[in-house]
Amino acid sequence: MSIKWIGRISLFLFLVLLQVWVFNQVHMFGIATPLTYLYFILLLPSSTNRNLLIFLGFILGLSIDFFSYTLGIHAMASTIAGFSRNYSLKLFSPRDMPNEYNPSVRSFGFEVFLKYSGFIILLHHVVYFTVESLSLFDPLSVLMRIAGSFLLTMAVILAFEGINSDILKK
Amino acid sequence: MRNLIHFILKNTHWLLFLFLMFISTLLMVNNNEYQRSKYLTFENEIVGKVYSVADGISSYIGLRTTNRKLMQYISSLETNIQVLEYQLKESNLKLDTTLILSDSTILPFEFIPARILNKNISSTENYITLNKGSNHGVESDMGVLGTPTGGVVGVIWKVSPNFSVVIPVLNSKFRLSCKIKGNNYPGPLVWDRRDIRYATLEELPRHVETHAGDTVVTSGNSAIFPEGIPVGTVDETRKQKNDNFNSIKVRLLTDIGDIDHVLVVKNNFREEQLKLEKETENVN
Repeated sequence: MSIKWIGRISLFLFLVLLQVWVFNQVHMFGIATPLTYLYFILLLPSSTNRNLLIFLGFILGLSIDFFSYTLGIHAMASTIAGFSRNYSLKLFSPRDMPNEYNPSVRSFGFEVFLKYSGFIILLHHVVYFTVESLSLFDPLSVLMRIAGSFLLTMAVILAFEGINSDILKK
Repeated sequence: MRNLIHFILKNTHWLLFLFLMFISTLLMVNNNEYQRSKYLTFENEIVGKVYSVADGISSYIGLRTTNRKLMQYISSLETNIQVLEYQLKESNLKLDTTLILSDSTILPFEFIPARILNKNISSTENYITLNKGSNHGVESDMGVLGTPTGGVVGVIWKVSPNFSVVIPVLNSKFRLSCKIKGNNYPGPLVWDRRDIRYATLEELPRHVETHAGDTVVTSGNSAIFPEGIPVGTVDETRKQKNDNFNSIKVRLLTDIGDIDHVLVVKNNFREEQLKLEKETENVN
């Protein structure tokens, strides 16, 4: 049990550092930035308490905010992502799943995982980029940034999943 | 009563969700107040430490290009010295006077070299972290110039003993008084938050003629930068909504995405100027 928690905490730190060291510097075509720290929320086991999910989402966002001096924006979007996690599971997870499982491409299959993660990530990105550019009324640029970043985040998270399932197979 | 408790227990996640949303909103609103967070140095020190770890690794990658750029910068400075020395010699011959700078002469501006540890350019609120802090003489509200271009990069915001954070031109909080080289009408330079290569010079009177390619320089009104530091070149002139002013699209001289090294500008007479300005205000 405790080993599992240590694993989760290391994943949390790893994703936060990866975001602030690497992915925050990415600015593809001037619009797209991958926000891959959400992978932490996607991987939490299905039995995770709803309150804990929301709280972890908040803490995750706050950690990113702390390093990018944008206090509150990531926290808000990430809280919403944590909140929406269980609804996304209910919507998309196959009927014949066991009581407790870890969401992944292996347990869900590619298509279901794509829908499951796409739902949460899209919601997060819509909130994040809308709030971020609230004072600047330019719907087209916000839409472009949401779409570009969404595609990039999905690509990176699927790559993570590829690496992750390779490790598990061995 | 029991029903109410039952209802609350059943829906704690909704309450927690709303509570945390409220907290995030509060943080967001407070963070926009420029002054409040200026003195949070402990946060700055931790963030700086974390970024310097990554910088320790990544700084080796671009070492060759950085070296080449710095050499180019040095050679251009050498050339400038040669030109100035030559001019000085010429004018001395004509004027027959000598200019003496004793050691005790305080120069108005000094420069502190610094390295960029972290740079965020993907957001509408961007920040840059530098590896110099109050231990090295950096204070908030000092100007920051890019090397080797020498163009304006931003203004120091928060300072901790070993690190400092810059508000670059690419931030909606940034405002700097600038003018077009050759005339003296100052206007604020702001970022339109769309393209990191361009900024906008606003409130320029309509009758001031501008041409594409004109140089935009600092006005020196703010006591942050010396007068005449280049900012960029005029790209396009547009009418502003309220008719008497033009707003000018400025192509920035320094590509903030591309620089690693900067110079922090220390104005030795800033305190004096601000004190005098404050006294004048009080009299009025």
